Amino acid sequence: MIRITDLRHRLVDIPDLAVDACHIAVIGPNGSGKTTLLSICSGIEEPGAGTVRLLGRPPSAVKVGWVGEFPDRTLLFSRVYDEIASTPRFRHHPCPETDGMVREAAGKAGIPHLLDRKVASLSGGEKALVALAAACAGDPEVLVLDEADSHLDAVTAERVRRVVQESTAAHVLWCTQSMDTAAGADYVLFMENGLVRHHGTPEEVFSALEETCFYPAMWRVLR
Amino acid sequence: MRIDLTDLVFSRGSFTLRGSGTFGPGVHLVSGPVGSGKSTLALLLAELLRPESGAVRRHGVISALLLLQFPEHHVTCPTVAEEVRSWGLAPEDVLLRAGLVGRGDDDPFRLSRGELRRLTLACAAMRNPDLLMLDEPFSSLDCVAKREACRTIEERRAGITIIFSHERAVLPRVDALWEMEDGVLTARGSVPDAIPLWRHAPPYLAYALREGARPENIRLSDAREALCRIRG
Repeated sequence: MIRITDLRHRLVDIPDLAVDACHIAVIGPNGSGKTTLLSICSGIEEPGAGTVRLLGRPPSAVKVGWVGEFPDRTLLFSRVYDEIASTPRFRHHPCPETDGMVREAAGKAGIPHLLDRKVASLSGGEKALVALAAACAGDPEVLVLDEADSHLDAVTAERVRRVVQESTAAHVLWCTQSMDTAAGADYVLFMENGLVRHHGTPEEVFSALEETCFYPAMWRVLR
Repeated sequence: MRIDLTDLVFSRGSFTLRGSGTFGPGVHLVSGPVGSGKSTLALLLAELLRPESGAVRRHGVISALLLLQFPEHHVTCPTVAEEVRSWGLAPEDVLLRAGLVGRGDDDPFRLSRGELRRLTLACAAMRNPDLLMLDEPFSSLDCVAKREACRTIEERRAGITIIFSHERAVLPRVDALWEMEDGVLTARGSVPDAIPLWRHAPPYLAYALREGARPENIRLSDAREALCRIRG
């Protein structure tokens, strides 16, 4: 359960929201507060006012995996192995356990062949998969992806989607500008000017957005 | 006016780009996976990279502009107005066109991603170069901003416009399709004949083609119209 009460932080204003779904898509125009909400939910930012509880705990007490829009700006280590290992290492896991987690995460992301590579030599899509593997190492309780698909082609985006689908996290919270992707979520939050304007199943939310360009392109042709 | 690519070869490490073809007046879309060489091709066409062999030859192209994937990489001035002047344009006209009236004194980095993209695209469109190249002009924009960008591109009446993009939902009306895959550039030809040959067609277009529809262009509205025609 994700529970938000009286949250006010920068332009985000959410008086009361409780979501129990697993795959939650956050959509809305640029500058509507999606990234701010995701930052608060992942514990990167402390809200100015109000509370956020993930699984009954504050985000800082939850194992959160986070993937940003620009992996170039968040990858810390020069070797792929060390980047993925950073998650268990920062959590002080012993070396043999860390090694197991790195190989398992790399396997799930389909990048075991990249482990010895330099991060700088990777393509954009490969960097995104490394960032995802690092976030998934050690099985996070909550996985947060902030427009991680913005700069990915269809094939890589599909691979990201599959890894996310198979994640054991209790909640996966992601924002995207691809409405066709958001249509596959269990639950959708549509944000505008810091407010959650619509929330519910994809059917519920997109039926309220039918007159806008936020309606999924595939739904328009299938109708 | 045209650009001829003759047996173009460019390598970096294990990656090799190859391409031949002619870009004439109109809007060209070069699609393909991330890492397939779209940005490298843009740099070669912009003459910012030199090919190992083969040539890029411009015929009747006096002015050219390349808009980079990240609009912040274009910023050189501390205010939006000065930024516009650095393009050799009058701030009033550009800010009006970009929907940024009253923002002239702002730091360009205070603009949102969408706003900054609108600013650089408006500057490029108003400079009206013979050759305009746009590297991923839609990435990280919301659908409203993508539509605005499409409109700006469609409003260009003359010259050669080349869009390098993997966008899958909001696309402008185009005249020709190209694909990059593993460094190899392939011409699919003029629209609409090129559409059924387009391997990276967005899902809505691929669906319409599977249903037997023959869209006249590549936009969602074109796919819907074509579907309406066959469904009656």
